[in-house]
Amino acid sequence: MDRHPIERLENMQKNRGLPGSLYDALASLKLTLFLFFALAGASLVGTLLPQGLAPEELKARYSPSIASWVDTLGLSDLYRAHWFQALLVLLCVNLIACTVQRLPKTLKILKQREDTFDSHKLLKFNLNHSFTAQLDRDDARPRISNVINKEFAPLQWVDHPNAFCAVSEKGRWSRLMVYGVHLSVLMILVGALIGSLYGFKGFMTIPEGTSSNEVTLFSDDRMAILPFDIRCDKFDVTFYDTGAPREFRSDLVIVDQGQEVLKSSIRVNDPLTYRGITFYQSSYGSMLREAEVEFKDRESGKVHTLVLPFRQTRDIPDSRDTVQITQFSRNFHQFGPALGIVVFREDHSPAGSMILADKPEFHGNKVMNYQVKVLGIKQVPYTGLQVKQDPGVWVVYLGFTLMILAVGVTFYASHRKIWVCAEEQRAGGVSSRIVLAGRTNKNTSTFEEDFNRLCERLENELTIHTARGRPDDQ
Amino acid sequence: MINSSILLSITTFAYLLCTILYMAGVIFRYRPLLMGGTLVGVVTFLVQTAGILLRWIESYDLGYGHAPLSNLYESLVFAAWSIMLIYLVFEFRTRQRTLGVFPALFAFLAMAYASFSTGIDSRIQPLLPALKSNWLIAHVITCFLGYAAFAISFGISILYLLKRNHPGNPSSSGVLGFLPSSKQLDGFNYQMILFGFLWLSVGIITGSVWANSAWGTYWSWDPKETWSLITWLVYAALLHARSIQGWRGNRVAWLSVAGFACVLFTYFGVNFLLSGLHSYATR
Repeated sequence: MDRHPIERLENMQKNRGLPGSLYDALASLKLTLFLFFALAGASLVGTLLPQGLAPEELKARYSPSIASWVDTLGLSDLYRAHWFQALLVLLCVNLIACTVQRLPKTLKILKQREDTFDSHKLLKFNLNHSFTAQLDRDDARPRISNVINKEFAPLQWVDHPNAFCAVSEKGRWSRLMVYGVHLSVLMILVGALIGSLYGFKGFMTIPEGTSSNEVTLFSDDRMAILPFDIRCDKFDVTFYDTGAPREFRSDLVIVDQGQEVLKSSIRVNDPLTYRGITFYQSSYGSMLREAEVEFKDRESGKVHTLVLPFRQTRDIPDSRDTVQITQFSRNFHQFGPALGIVVFREDHSPAGSMILADKPEFHGNKVMNYQVKVLGIKQVPYTGLQVKQDPGVWVVYLGFTLMILAVGVTFYASHRKIWVCAEEQRAGGVSSRIVLAGRTNKNTSTFEEDFNRLCERLENELTIHTARGRPDDQ
Repeated sequence: MINSSILLSITTFAYLLCTILYMAGVIFRYRPLLMGGTLVGVVTFLVQTAGILLRWIESYDLGYGHAPLSNLYESLVFAAWSIMLIYLVFEFRTRQRTLGVFPALFAFLAMAYASFSTGIDSRIQPLLPALKSNWLIAHVITCFLGYAAFAISFGISILYLLKRNHPGNPSSSGVLGFLPSSKQLDGFNYQMILFGFLWLSVGIITGSVWANSAWGTYWSWDPKETWSLITWLVYAALLHARSIQGWRGNRVAWLSVAGFACVLFTYFGVNFLLSGLHSYATR
């Protein structure tokens, strides 16, 4: 395979001073290779070390000296570490520098008119073929033209003082495809950047029958407040007869400024989008709705039974106390379900305790002067939604499309070129020497076959016409 | 009564026969054996295609109704199918029969692993909610076309390395002399890698778009995603390295071997050694 002039140019640049050398280094293929291997190696490390550890987990998992290294290098949140993102930025710089350096040269080559050449030059090509036709140059010319136009691509004649020379080429533009691939990578990275700057990702849990507008963000533990409410009317799981889950479904209603504007059921793989924010079915479970709790004042002996909705304050009758369930544990220290109950009394600091629901006789089932007994627990299913707004996703998708097209075309298309030269064997003679040469930047073996077939066809054409032409000469 | 498991069992043994024929053809330098390899390969491929289609139909009879691409067993069967599909098209296009040993061997190994491993459930299972999407078909098919091309490229690279680094003059005699020239092997290897790279790219992209429509994030650095990116980077490095002088031949062949190691880790290693979103592919 012959080397393309662009690649040769790279070796010709020297003595360019520091800025020039730096630019060359940033645009170099060696940097590209380094970045590919560095990114691959770093990603590999990221899959081996657990990611997203809290500082305490980090200390528990590693010895102090290793933990400090892991922390300094950001190895437990590697893909967001500054040095990893610096590698990505450097990749973008490399892509841009390489494009700025090479694209003008590629364009120049694409626009360039063919230099004059002769048969000697063509015979030096890796792929060449020559034969003698019993025809003079002027008769050979239209026939060559015919065959190559039909079998390959339109022939363009090149000036030459005493021979007919022409070139024919296909897929010239395929040389631009590599820039398409590079642009697509840039678009994907830029799209990801837009998403991380102007979008958000979070999580919300909505108990069946209630609505919410609070989203817990993944990036930090802040809350985001949506400009509208989302209500979950029903959450449903269905199962196959094997016991495997078949479908998770939430019936959601969007309530915007008091109006029910949109009703929709979402499933895994079937999200809902409203005002640029998308809701995905992501998890489910059940949480406490309310509990029936008995409070017995150990001093007065009075007994009150209250229905306490989760995390809502209620008064205890005949007292100035209020009470709230603040926590619910399905299995508290292996003692079964437990409620965290807090009693608030004026001029006192609040007092609370975990009350074991299944063990009414447990000695710790008391708060302040109350003996507490859980009479009933009502749970409600909730749906867990992933919430996302990502204005950069369309740029990423555009990058994806461009990448598929450009890599696809790079695979299927190549720049193939054929040179042909017809010159008189002897001055004034009726035989001429035909020389062909071919070159491709890819798919060498297929092109060789095509080239050989073309030469064969041309040789046939010229000899048959010669045989037919002979009687006229006499 | 013909059912998919009988057809797929036949496929397993027939690919072994195909491998033996190709191997014997190269070792004894006897072309009719290679012809036999091709013939058995084509017939087995058709039997396997019928087996896969039948399994698809059977899943509807069970009331599940999904494409047979949903678990490790089905993906291994499909991997064998893709390898043979790409290889047979390649053989038909290039008229090179001597490179069939590795593809046939890989197809046999994939089928044998799927059929005989006790850890792999070959029953038709219902589809998990996360997999209920048309993206499943697009994602799995494109990824496996890529993996299969890389498997074939790995085979070609091994032959290239054997031939290039064999002492003496391999071009004149011996088993290696029967193979295409090392320049041809290098060319085939490049074509195969470019083809694999195209499909791996499409596979990663379809997976990404699917993840975005199912979970709201097109990239989450899940181990499977990350390893497919590592594989992509290694092959991208290979394609770029080829345009630097001196990186032809041996180095490219070694990079292709490294790339295939990444493919294997992406496919098997991630499932068994690391945890993540693709855990349904272990059973």
